[in-house]
Parts: sequence; C-alpha cells; structure tokens
Amino acid sequence: MREGVVALCAVLIVSGCAGVEPRTGRGSSRVLRQGATFAPDDAAERRRTPGTRPRQGGDPIAPLTHEAVIAVLEEVKGTLDGIARTLPRLAKNTKGLGDSDGVFTRYTDYGASQLPWLRGALARATSLTDDAATVEDMDMRSGILRLTGPRIEAAMSGAMLLATWLDFLRLAEVVRQECPYYGVERLFVDLDRVQRQMEPAMTALASLDPEEVEATATAMPGLMGQLTREFQSIQDGARGAMERGGRVVAAAQFLEMLTLVSALKATLPRPPPAAPVMLGVGLMMGSGGVMMGSRIVVTAEWVERMRTLVQAGVISAPVVSAAVRIHAGQVLMAQANQDLPKGVRDALGDSPEVRAMRETGRAGAGMSSAPKHHVLPQEHREWFERRGFKGEMDIDQFCVRLEQSHHEAIHGGGDWRLGRLWAKEWNQNIMRLLRVSESDTGRLLTRDEILKIVATEMRRFDIPMTFSPGKRR
Amino acid sequence: MTDGRSWQGDWKVRLYARVRERGYDSLTAFAEARPTASLVQLAEELGKDDIAGVQVFSGLVAEAERSKRLTRLVRSQFVRELSEDFPNGWPTAVDDNNRFDIAHALARWCSYTPETHEARVKQVKAELLASPPPPGWRPLGPDDELLLTLLPDDEA
Repeated sequence: MREGVVALCAVLIVSGCAGVEPRTGRGSSRVLRQGATFAPDDAAERRRTPGTRPRQGGDPIAPLTHEAVIAVLEEVKGTLDGIARTLPRLAKNTKGLGDSDGVFTRYTDYGASQLPWLRGALARATSLTDDAATVEDMDMRSGILRLTGPRIEAAMSGAMLLATWLDFLRLAEVVRQECPYYGVERLFVDLDRVQRQMEPAMTALASLDPEEVEATATAMPGLMGQLTREFQSIQDGARGAMERGGRVVAAAQFLEMLTLVSALKATLPRPPPAAPVMLGVGLMMGSGGVMMGSRIVVTAEWVERMRTLVQAGVISAPVVSAAVRIHAGQVLMAQANQDLPKGVRDALGDSPEVRAMRETGRAGAGMSSAPKHHVLPQEHREWFERRGFKGEMDIDQFCVRLEQSHHEAIHGGGDWRLGRLWAKEWNQNIMRLLRVSESDTGRLLTRDEILKIVATEMRRFDIPMTFSPGKRR
Repeated sequence: MTDGRSWQGDWKVRLYARVRERGYDSLTAFAEARPTASLVQLAEELGKDDIAGVQVFSGLVAEAERSKRLTRLVRSQFVRELSEDFPNGWPTAVDDNNRFDIAHALARWCSYTPETHEARVKQVKAELLASPPPPGWRPLGPDDELLLTLLPDDEA
C-alpha cells in the first residue's frame, strides 16, 4: 500500500502532474499545456460544422474569418471555464497547507484574479465580432474583425499562462499531499519565484495594448521554456527529497514508469537538451497537421483556422509561430520568430505579402509612430453615438495611423498630402456626405450605412482599413 | 485595398507617367474611354497599389478647369457614381430598400463636384429626387440625352 502511494507520487512527479487532474474532468494528459487553447483537439471542435454561422455578403473570405474568430474565442472560453472550475478545488486543497493557515491562498487568488480580465477581453472580442457580422461592406467588416486581434492574442496567451500557473498549483498540491519531505517553505518560495517570472507577461497581456500584447505573445516560447525549467526543478527537488527520505521506488516500478513517461514526454515541453536542437527541426506539415515525427503538434483544423486569421490580418504570424513552437516543445531557445520551416510557415498563412501588409499596417513604412486620426470626426462624437457608435464600436476604435509631416516639405508646395489633407478636408467631406445622405434618406442613418459611406471614402483615399484604437480627446 | 503607398512620393508625376504609359495624352482621355468605371477602378487601372481614386479625381478637375469643360466632368462623375451603386440603371421604384443607396450615390456626386458647380448639382439632385427619371435609366457617358437636359454645358 505504501509502495503504491510512493509509486503514484513518483509517477506524478516524473511525468509532471499528468494524473493529478481528477478523472471527472476532460482527463487531459497534457501537463504544461492542458489549457488546450493553442492546440485544440477537443471533440467540441469537431462538432462544429461549417455553415452553421450566418454567411452574409458575397465574399467567401470574411465569413471564414468570422467563423475562425468565433471558434478561437470559444476555445479560450472553454479553457477559462476549465480553469474556473479547477481553481476552487485547488484553493480548498491547498488552504490548510503550511504552518500557518492560508499561505498558499495568495497563489490560487492570483490565478482567480486573472479570470476577470480574460473574460472581459473575450466578451469585448465577442461583441466586436457580433458587430462586425452586421457590417455589409466587406473591407470594413474585415477591418473591424482585425480589431479583435490584440484581444484574441492576449486572451490566448493569457489563458495559456494561467493554465501553466494552474499546473504549478497542482504540482504544489501533489507535492504537499504525497511528498512530505519537501518543505512547505521551500514550495512557498518556489511558487513565489514562478509568479514573479510570470507576472510581467500577464500584466502586459492584461493591458490589451496592441504593441505590448504582440511583443509578449511573440516572446511566449522563451517564457514557457523558463517555466518548464522551473517545473522540472521543483519536480526534481521533490524527487530528491523523497529519495533522501528513503522512499526509493523499486526498480521494476521505475522501468514501468519510464515507458509511461516516454509516451507523455513527447507532449511535454522538453527539458534542456544535451546538445542544442536546431529550432523548428523535425517539424513538417502533414495531412494531420504540423507533425514532429509521427506526433501531431497541432491539428490540421487548428492550422487552417490560424491560416485564415493570419491571412485576414487578425492575428500575427509570429504569434502563431510562437504557439506552434510551444506545442512542439521547442520553448527553450528564445530566438527570433521566423524559425519554423517554410512548409509549416506557409501552411500557417505566413507569406511575404502577409508580412508586408502587416508591417505596413502596423509598424512598417515609418507608420508606427505616425499620429492616429479618427476616421469618424471626434468633434461629432455625439452625432455618431446617437447612431450606434457606442461601447466596443465607439468612434475611438476607428482610428488610422497617417504620417503627417514626413515628406511634406520635400515635394512642392502646392502638393497635398494625406496627413495634411486629413483634418481639413476629410472631416468636412465625410460629415457632409453623411448629412446629405441622411437628409435624403429621410431618417437617421444606421451604423452600417455610416460605415458603408466611410468605407467608400476610405477606398477612394486609399486609406487601409487597419484600425488602431485611439484615445478620446 | 492597398497599403497607403499612394501618398508616398510625388503622386502627380506618377499619375501622369501611368496615363502616358497607357497611350493617352490626358487623364481625361483615359477616363472618358472608361465612362462607367468608378474612381477606384480608374485608380486601380493606373496603379493598383499606388494611385488613389481621389488623386484621379483631382487630376480630372485640374484638366477640366484648364479646358473649361467642368460641366462635362460633373456629368461624367454622375455617370460613374450612378453605375457604381446601380449598374442596371435607375431603380424601378424608390423604396426603403434603396432609398439610402440613391441618397448615398447622389451625396457622393455632390461631394465630388467642384465648388463652382455645387449649386447647380444640388438643384439637379433635388429634381431627380422629386421627379425620378424613367426606371432603368442608365447614362453611359457625359453625352447622355437626359443628363445633358438636366445639366447642359454653359461654359462660354
């Protein structure tokens, strides 16, 4: 009996907390990634049949993007729901631990305190997605869907971090219950250290600031590598403590465990390899998805969805590449993003055109610091509010970056440039168009009609529908 | 949709270079050879990624001012605006489904009219809304008969 308990403990330690999850749940055997956000293989995924979403308009691209966004949001929501269910149990089980009551509570609390912003980000992205569905103009609809990007990236990465934090809490739970020789204080310090490593990333994601989110999501493999090392060091420490305590597991049981471990090991982020592996090596695009040897790293379905989102400019290729690397376990080398083999990158929708589009839209061509301009003039905020531009769809969402002074002086005095033209002529032009259209239509314009008018003008002025939410003046 | 490159460099030079490359000696000649094309279509034909519709319009206005054919340009623009939203011509009946689209098309026409002609265009717009043209009316160029009646040349 005692041997059995020790064996269980050792299995748990060696294989992470694979077996800790009570059998009632979804019984995932994935440890540092049981938050399946990045690589959904849930049955729920497959139940989704295409065509259940309302398809509007003639463009086949936008409805797909819309579906992909909805699917990703649902995945993240599923992950969060799972975390929300697990946290109270962990809180209960760790409450009495330690010499003084409740020292571990702060760690479960930290996890719980992340849920509101994650749910908020999801709700906002969902609301925007629903609003986008009512927009007839396809360019404009894509533009609005792209606004969900930073929220989706933040929610995906945040849910993954939180799931990882839960793994640490579970590890702590197991260590406390089954490995009494590992000191409570030591465990307390361990968790404190892990939390401090994780916190800056979590805070950056919670800010929902597009630039911070992008940088953090792209750097996730490095952080996950760091956390994996922490996880293993706590495991090793616990095992060592058990060994010193004389609870050495019988050789036969170890052997049995090793087989078990080897099966699990492939799905776990790897321990630091003896010889550095080349990044991305061994990854290839197969019919089942991205494969590493015979193992599916992420499913074909997931790849297809990411491809749709990357090509539509909703989320960025580097962020998706980071996710694939995490799933491949190649998290230990914090290097640049373009490290996946070309075949895999292509499958994920990464291409020079997409990258160029994104760079021009976001950071390239000197536009990253260019001032933001409201497409719907701010001095008429109330006018727009009365016509439905509120909440997630307020006029501050509809800002574009335009360079103002760059080159302005270089080419001839009479030349008008977009930045200079903007405030004077765009605002007047757009308001006049809106007012005249409204008065001849004989009723208040709808939000969609306003967006249609604006989209037509943006096309004529050649302003990309890449919105970058601005501040209220 | 392009990436905003239309506003980099000297777009006027670029615009006219493209017009000449396509064998026309004026932007007006290029545009009149495509009387029902929208401004965005004209711009895309001249440079898919680096010419904007408003730049084409601005060039057309400058040429029409010089040749004193602004009224003709205003009629041409009407044709473009109408066929952008109503490729099959004026709708059979004005109802709740298309009232906004008509209003939008006419508002664009007013907006893309040089100041000198604004008053006349507003008047024509009012006439069109008050007594609509025959259903299916689909002017194919600035010399359309009804259009000429509504907005005759008066430049001396």
